[in-house]
Amino acid sequence: MEPNVKAVQPQFRSGISGPKPGGMGFVFDDIHGLIPGPPETDGTSFTALLELPPPQAVELLVMEDFPAKSMPPPIFPSNIALSDRASMFSIFASADNPPDSTNIISASSSMKIDSVKQEPLESEHHRNSSSPAVSNQSLKSIKRKEREKKVKESSKKSKKLEANEASDGSGEQLPYVHVRARRGQATDSHSLAERARREKINARMKLLQDLVPGCNKISGTAMVLDEIINHVQALQRQVEFLSMRLAAVNPRIDFNLDALLAAESESSIDNSYLGMFPPSIWLEGQLNGSRQQQSWLIDGVHPSRVDDTSNFITPDNSLLSYDSPPNSVSLHSSQLKMEL
Amino acid sequence: MKARSSLEREFLEKWRKGLQIGKEDSTILERKDAIKLSADVAIAATKNAATHWRRALLCDVVSENPTNKHVVEHILGHKFKNTATRLTACSRRILRISQKRRQKAAPRRVVPKSRKRNRSRALRMLVPGGEEMDGVLLLQETLDYIVSLRAQVDVMRCLASIG
Repeated sequence: MEPNVKAVQPQFRSGISGPKPGGMGFVFDDIHGLIPGPPETDGTSFTALLELPPPQAVELLVMEDFPAKSMPPPIFPSNIALSDRASMFSIFASADNPPDSTNIISASSSMKIDSVKQEPLESEHHRNSSSPAVSNQSLKSIKRKEREKKVKESSKKSKKLEANEASDGSGEQLPYVHVRARRGQATDSHSLAERARREKINARMKLLQDLVPGCNKISGTAMVLDEIINHVQALQRQVEFLSMRLAAVNPRIDFNLDALLAAESESSIDNSYLGMFPPSIWLEGQLNGSRQQQSWLIDGVHPSRVDDTSNFITPDNSLLSYDSPPNSVSLHSSQLKMEL
Repeated sequence: MKARSSLEREFLEKWRKGLQIGKEDSTILERKDAIKLSADVAIAATKNAATHWRRALLCDVVSENPTNKHVVEHILGHKFKNTATRLTACSRRILRISQKRRQKAAPRRVVPKSRKRNRSRALRMLVPGGEEMDGVLLLQETLDYIVSLRAQVDVMRCLASIG
């Protein structure tokens, strides 16, 4: 994925953001040639440009040196933010794309993306977002994000001033560090590296802010760090507490195994399912007396099966014989756990 | 209906494996330690133990109590070869940390003035293996660590609510 992204960006940059005026001429010719007809270029933001009504695009092109970045069409930021967020959050829950999109949409407002150029990069990344290695994934997404940020920042400056005046920092040819010196800032390698490092840290802090609940409103890295530390401590304490609770509930570790089997075979719909029937369950449990443990789960759902003793003798058969919806199967598997 | 993410499923699977080795533990504390041990090793074994904090967590687990090694090996399964290298990596890591501490103790002030450094130090102590990470890596590992911890807590909570 990384080579693709790299490949897209350099050719893209040479197309639009070439520091020499000659490059700009190339851009104009290309755009003028392409606007009347269908988009023929590869997946760069020329296609994005072309989605605008042609006269508007031409106008924008003529107005500014870096037109692609100066136009923020309203449709794009949400898409970009969405795919960007999706790619980043994919490391968290690779199977849960739909729920993430709601997070993404809500978080998209916090993203300051106004560059159309990022769209092809995003879609590239989003397609490959199911790679297994977490650190590589986050690293790549973060690196890409930084690249976009740098491009965006350089574009901001170029909007206001003559863009080509900005001295070029080192690294336009480097594979993943695109550092562009802004106007009025030192351009020696030390400060550039420092700035790159700072921006990396800021990008990660932002991700952390979005991850830890309640950090969005806090401004300033120190407070956010405090929240993060609290969150980690709370999670660690929760693990301790839950393991103590599990140890207390089950007199033997084998209980845990069967419970885990049950948990594996069922989906968590059963938790809510069980929660819905507590009154009937407890009532039935009291009535049954000695058979309380084994049958209370079944009674809550299938009152007709209360007297079915075969459930206790052949729990496996009972699992197989039930071809009712998975809920009851899971309930039986938890009944298995109870029996032991 | 909440679908379990692949991370959670992987954790559950490995945790179950670890609990299978659990011996007959009489006291509640022993049981709790066994459960927690299996859970920690399981969450560290997810994603092929690729990140820094996962490896550091496994190192800590093994160095704390050598008998834990069996659990680690059982859960990791065929990655047994890595555990040997991991042990040497662990010992090297411990050496490195103790060296760092010895060097830093002398010239450093007793109370560092910057609060940010305090905080990053606190974070380093929380995240396994945090001492040898620089600022950027620390944040990255923290991110991944929080996600994994969350998955662990969710699964354990589900289990505790069923039982």
